[in-house]
Amino acid sequence: MLDTKKIGSVMIVGGGVTGMQAALDLADSGYYVYLVEKTGAIGGAMAQLDKTFPTNDCSM
Amino acid sequence: MTLSEVTKIDGKAGNFTVNVKESPRYVDMEKCIACGACTEKCPKKVDSEYDAATGKRKAIYVKYAQAVPLKYQIDPDACIRLQKPGACGFCEKVCDAGAINFNDTEKMHQLNVGAVILAPGFEAYDPTDAGVWGYGVYPNVITSLQLERYLSASGPTEGHLIRPSDGKPVNKVAFLQCVGSRDENLCNNGYCSSVCCMYAIKEAVIAKDHAPGLQTSIFYMDMRTHGKEFDLYMQRAKEDSGVRFVRCRVNGVEPDGSGGDLRLSYVNEEGRQLEEFYDMVVLSVGLQTPKHVLELAHTADIKLTADNFAATSDFAPVQTSREGIFTCGAIAGPKDIPQSVVEGSAAAAAVADLLSPARFELTTEPTFPKERDVSGEEPRIGIFVCHCGSNIAGIVDVKAVDEYAATLPDVVYVERNLFSCSQDTQEMIVKRIQEQKLNRIVIAACTPRTHEPLFRETLKAAGLNEYLMEMANIRNHNSWVHTDNPKAATAKAKDLVRMAAAKVTYGDSLKPISVPITQKALVIGGGVAGMTAGLNLAEQGFEVHLVEQTDILGGNALNLKHTWAGEHVPTQVAKLVDKLVCNDKIIIHKESTVTGVEGFVGNFRSTITGKDGLTKVIEHGAGIVATGGDAYTPTEYNYNSITGVVTSVQFDKLFELKEAHVRRARRFVFIQCVGSREEGSMYCSKVCCTHSVQSAIALKKENPERNVYILYRDMRTYAQREALYKQARKLGVIFINYELHGKPKVTENGLVIDVEVWDHVLHRPLKIEADMVILAVAIRPKADAAELGKLYKVPVDGQGFFQEAHAKLRPVDFSTDGMFVAGLAHYPKPIEESVAQALAAAARAATLLSKSHVYLDAVKAAVDERYCDGCALCVDVCPYHAITLVDKPAKDGQAAGKVIVVNKAQCKGCGLCQGTCPKRGVYVSGFTMKQISAQIQAALAV
Amino acid sequence: MSFEPKIVAFCCNWCSYAAADLAGTARMQYPHNVRIIRVMCSGMVHPEFIMDALSQGADGVMVLG
Repeated sequence: MLDTKKIGSVMIVGGGVTGMQAALDLADSGYYVYLVEKTGAIGGAMAQLDKTFPTNDCSM
Repeated sequence: MTLSEVTKIDGKAGNFTVNVKESPRYVDMEKCIACGACTEKCPKKVDSEYDAATGKRKAIYVKYAQAVPLKYQIDPDACIRLQKPGACGFCEKVCDAGAINFNDTEKMHQLNVGAVILAPGFEAYDPTDAGVWGYGVYPNVITSLQLERYLSASGPTEGHLIRPSDGKPVNKVAFLQCVGSRDENLCNNGYCSSVCCMYAIKEAVIAKDHAPGLQTSIFYMDMRTHGKEFDLYMQRAKEDSGVRFVRCRVNGVEPDGSGGDLRLSYVNEEGRQLEEFYDMVVLSVGLQTPKHVLELAHTADIKLTADNFAATSDFAPVQTSREGIFTCGAIAGPKDIPQSVVEGSAAAAAVADLLSPARFELTTEPTFPKERDVSGEEPRIGIFVCHCGSNIAGIVDVKAVDEYAATLPDVVYVERNLFSCSQDTQEMIVKRIQEQKLNRIVIAACTPRTHEPLFRETLKAAGLNEYLMEMANIRNHNSWVHTDNPKAATAKAKDLVRMAAAKVTYGDSLKPISVPITQKALVIGGGVAGMTAGLNLAEQGFEVHLVEQTDILGGNALNLKHTWAGEHVPTQVAKLVDKLVCNDKIIIHKESTVTGVEGFVGNFRSTITGKDGLTKVIEHGAGIVATGGDAYTPTEYNYNSITGVVTSVQFDKLFELKEAHVRRARRFVFIQCVGSREEGSMYCSKVCCTHSVQSAIALKKENPERNVYILYRDMRTYAQREALYKQARKLGVIFINYELHGKPKVTENGLVIDVEVWDHVLHRPLKIEADMVILAVAIRPKADAAELGKLYKVPVDGQGFFQEAHAKLRPVDFSTDGMFVAGLAHYPKPIEESVAQALAAAARAATLLSKSHVYLDAVKAAVDERYCDGCALCVDVCPYHAITLVDKPAKDGQAAGKVIVVNKAQCKGCGLCQGTCPKRGVYVSGFTMKQISAQIQAALAV
Repeated sequence: MSFEPKIVAFCCNWCSYAAADLAGTARMQYPHNVRIIRVMCSGMVHPEFIMDALSQGADGVMVLG
């Protein structure tokens, strides 16, 4: 890979809890992130859940 | 980029060209203010995807109330206008912002990126076609996702559990497990979806909270609650909440009469055919890879497993078959939220490893306008009252609060917002601060615990010091808890606004404290997790110190032969050790332990002591605890007295060495849950079911004549491991279920070992003659975990495993800043999960280490030298040892004496000093005596 | 008119204030008479604050941490 210059940006496909975590960690450590989401808003499946184990926190 | 899909990925790792297709939204994101007028007028209703079709949405809609970005969109398939030009168009007429654009078109983007992470998620299995459950035919058969929506306060019934068919309250509900999972007949999903057991229990418990007296039954094959603290939750569900668990497979769901009731028929454990009647049946649907993700995998040109999940290695769990393309979350196998979050961070670590030469090349620091000096100004308070959609405005008379706020002293501006936290409102607040020359802000909305950071940024963007803001919590502490008393809630909202205004009046501009970061990491533990984390950080360019207690690297993995997917562990571990040893950024300290710790995030000083008693001090900015776990040494099942009774770890060795006893033995009995899932250690060790099944398969493959029995409580071959369980059954391994109250009995009988276990089908004890008994022993936390925890001020849980900051959303962080956890030290787990967690911990540490400075909150203790007389009462109460007593030279006519100084980097702003000081000589910025007194006075003023 | 007590509660940001937030999230209903003052630790609550509150008409003071 020595012949190719590496690009300091990343594309993340999917704006659920997983994609968002990856995006935050990469942005926080110095990379430019494109977050591509298929639907009209990020949040993914977790945003649909009412509460989560173990604290029964609201999953928002 | 929303409404966007990847259509093409060209190039190679480090330099990809990606084509992205952005579908039209038909709403201008810049102009839309999310007022909702369009949705109100839209005449077209369709099923809401967000509510899993339990509710309706309009053709113009937002996905959900808290959506990000909070912008409306038009569903072109449902929109009357887009289907028939010239028709309808109401939304365009009512939109004051002029945001509707029916002529919006699809856009193509071409982007140049160094790496791609695929995190497209899963879809819930659709049980309609399977028929037997009556889903789609009987309205009171719903999916678990639909139940989530019914139970949600933001759902179609606002959290009231009622029957879809007739709106009657539900009294009796049944959950059917493994719908769309572990089933190759009705669907093609042979794997276990891993999450349904746990969510069914959670839903049952919460449903009971919503509808007192509700009877809930869960019909299952195996309860797979293998995650951290899951078994405890199941026990509480059983004992405290009264959730009923029935082990069986339900044959089908039939209607009972025409009233909407449902009849279940099943065969119970004793083999009897039974029937039960329910108001509602919930199908615990599994996870599967949606069609669009299969297309994406094709576009990305990555390999999939037979179960249609991305193929990855157990030692590189986020790396796909194509270099530079990574995965995380449910695309690589069904998994729960914490594991998905872990993989999100792990993918970030893997990308950072690849792209580290290009770090910071494309990013810019956010810049803020110069801060306005407001110290000489009279207070000019601006108050923003949030409706939070209807969360606040639905209960509190926000207009009255608005009017009242305007009458408070020094208040010069008041405004109401639909969502104060939305992007456009933020911009608007910035504008108002500037045009109205506001110098104190009150946000009457939700809780500062979640939203204070956001609004502080808003103030910064407006050139105002971020600490000149106070939140009045009129949602969590008011509208949500006084739902039935709007009048009192409105009065309380006024009080809370008045209190916040009083406090902020005396607020000062504060400067955040900047602390330099030592850009080095300390990794404690040289097992797979520790080595993986250390190597990743070193590859990212950071210096790493790795401390290992023993004289050899590898940890518990040295006892393992194959991962569940069949990868050879010793080869992979050897590779890892080689890479570690060859990396000149890694300094390995063998036969050493951490014996002392000083400092704090960014600036730790850990003392390590070697076998020879010599100590070294290591400075590091972040630390990763990967100290592993131990195998439980059993005392039960006559392990100590019968030679043929061995632990699983011992058996692996004997089997590998083809030891004579194993070679000759014909009858093997595996006993599961030895030291797990019982009083005193109520947790699942997660790996033992799969491990025993693997051993059983190996025994059978070597000699099919052997009789192999596995005595289990619940077979927890979760996710794609289910294939192994199936293979073992096919090979003739006999699985016998036992319960905690009827543990097997193991006795020596001459040359054979008698194993006695209760047979549920025959209703009598069953005696198995065995040559060897293999105990699947638990994974125990390290005995000295709590001690190490104390040094770094990180907690261990009730079992002795390290406790992460948040079970779901911060699975590798500790509550102590700068410290992270990975591997068995956190909870029992298989290798690929340890590796993922180690990468995640590295990614989290890198977010810190990549910066040269860390900024700490300005809420810290400060000394008021006018009053401090050096009595030193505060020095002893400070839990962080942040206060020291120093000499004060004579100055301005005052005699020399003593005074305290505060180390701001160590201070956490708890204010014990402030509460202790009899002379007002020390205070906490942002919570001064004056501010709190003003708040008290305001609280009681009316 | 029935007696409506005024109660001032000092809540620690990390536990009881968070608990009060959670009570909201869970929509638990409780009497509206309490006014919460957020502090960074209950140890921050100076005895003077309690005297202040009582002398200014509070019928009760809670320090939760």
